[in-house]
Amino acid sequence: MAPTDAPRYSLTELADLAGVTPRTVRYYMSQGLLPSQGTSGPGAKYDDAHLVRLRLVRKLQREHLPLAEIRQRLAGLDDTTIANLADQPTEVTDPQDTALDYIRRVLGPAQVNPNRLAAINERPAAAYGLAREPMPAEPLLGAPAPITLGVEPAPSRSFERSQWERIPLAPDIELHVRRPLPRPLAKQVDRLVSIARDLLEEDPS
Amino acid sequence: MTTQRAITARADRRLIRPHHRSKRFVLVQVTAPPATHERDRLPVNLAFVLDRSGSMSGEKIELAKRTISAALEHLDGRDRFSIVVYDDVVDLVVESTPGSAEARRNAMARLDAIDARGSTNLSEGWFRGAEQVASHLAADGVNRCLVLTDGLANKGLTDPVELAKHAAELRARGISTTTFGVGADFDEALLQGMADAGGGHFYFVRDAATIRDHITSEVGETLEIVARDVELEVVAAEDVGVEAISPQPTRPRGSRTVIGLGDLVAEQDLDVVLRITFPYGEIGRETGVIIGLSDRDGVFATDGRPSASDARLSWAYADDAANDAQPRDTDVDRAVATQFAARARQEAVRLNRAGDYASARRILDATGHRIRAYAGRDPALRGLVGELASEGDTFAAPMAPMALKEAHFASANMARTRDAQGRSVKRRG
Repeated sequence: MAPTDAPRYSLTELADLAGVTPRTVRYYMSQGLLPSQGTSGPGAKYDDAHLVRLRLVRKLQREHLPLAEIRQRLAGLDDTTIANLADQPTEVTDPQDTALDYIRRVLGPAQVNPNRLAAINERPAAAYGLAREPMPAEPLLGAPAPITLGVEPAPSRSFERSQWERIPLAPDIELHVRRPLPRPLAKQVDRLVSIARDLLEEDPS
Repeated sequence: MTTQRAITARADRRLIRPHHRSKRFVLVQVTAPPATHERDRLPVNLAFVLDRSGSMSGEKIELAKRTISAALEHLDGRDRFSIVVYDDVVDLVVESTPGSAEARRNAMARLDAIDARGSTNLSEGWFRGAEQVASHLAADGVNRCLVLTDGLANKGLTDPVELAKHAAELRARGISTTTFGVGADFDEALLQGMADAGGGHFYFVRDAATIRDHITSEVGETLEIVARDVELEVVAAEDVGVEAISPQPTRPRGSRTVIGLGDLVAEQDLDVVLRITFPYGEIGRETGVIIGLSDRDGVFATDGRPSASDARLSWAYADDAANDAQPRDTDVDRAVATQFAARARQEAVRLNRAGDYASARRILDATGHRIRAYAGRDPALRGLVGELASEGDTFAAPMAPMALKEAHFASANMARTRDAQGRSVKRRG
């Protein structure tokens, strides 16, 4: 979630949060160091961009820069650059990959064999054999080897080897994807699969 | 628009000292809005991950299976579910499917055929469940993996820190994790850590008979979630320190401190306790914090403005005599004491389990002493001091695993504003 862009601070609050007096804030505005709000009365509200800019001015002042120089440095900088200079970068921690990418990276690539899954899904429960028969040696997900989660990191060679993955979208429709894919593309494919499945699940009537 | 305030904040004291790094506590009470008729409930996308290692055999697995069957009855076509069972191998019993009546019937038949055997590969079972949730991630729904176990993870990934890290990573990608520990043999720190980092809940299931209550209540709560990824955002001056002493994770974000509250159910009450540390200052000067609430879907925005419900608090620098004479807000003191007592109890559980009985007693005694210093005549605070003193005796000797789990679960729930069964608390009024 981005910081609230809506103006929310009174002049007094803005000054307190930046460690200056309200008078200093007004002075900075008159000097063009801070954009002034259209209304300057007691009801005026200021936003995070004001706060961050004000903190940067204070920081540069502590470094003994004259106000004229500070004004020059700030001129034309966007809010993100100012936030970075003020050591208050806006958070960029949203993961770049999807949950599925992450899980498959941890588990190692599990090539889902759609035919096998379909076969299992069609088998009646009684024939499923979970209860008494020993489980098949091959894991149900069709991974080529037993998964050694935690014992060693997912082997990197499995990522170098490309393989076609068949993704069932509906009983009669499949999508073929050559893995591995670059992350952004993998993300798009996941979206495509999800959209396609939603679309195909819709009642055609 | 309701007039009920979503957030209120109160400080234990309002004066701070000029030549001291004063610490003051703030009780933030968050109340989630009621479920509205205009807004349908959020769809849920659940994976049930069931331990079928040898120790689960008999009543435990039978009840777990029956409970999952019963829980499925609450889902419908807009939801999805999957079922994974694990021992040393992991089996996908039901691939992620919409919760139609037919799919639920099929799932129940398959569940019926499962029995217990083998060892415990918790991590892979969990990841396979998460994979099922991830393969149909509901962007506007609740995506959650429910993991039930009765034993120590002894295959796959078993390090609690690493499991918690994965839980946080999954959480950041939209999948939360809830854990159920059955009986006396599981590791409560591991399951609690996964649930905390994973944005879900941890339940201690005392015996097979209560499996049903806990799973049913967790599934019920996922169906009642009205606000996802709720965050408290605190803005303060740069030299003012802000941290949560309740168990919610605190992290900086630009000019703010963010405290993650997870998902909230309709009308849920949640207490968050903050510790604010002030710099030196001149007598007469005031300084304040602004506390806002936000969530992924803008449920807490008022008139489209997230800041409309901000809570504001300020403190004034005053001389030592005024500081010493200032009144205290007893409700805030109680909330603070509850958090510190919960921390001490959980630490005492860990120490007792590790055989360090003297330290277990010492930590309870020390916390009791600190609370007594501000308890005054308040009966609740004095009661808590008494409890900690008598628990000191109990913890000073070896304790049974079940008693340790009871103690852990009770204090963990108290610190998270949850009742004795681990359920969320609603509208205390």
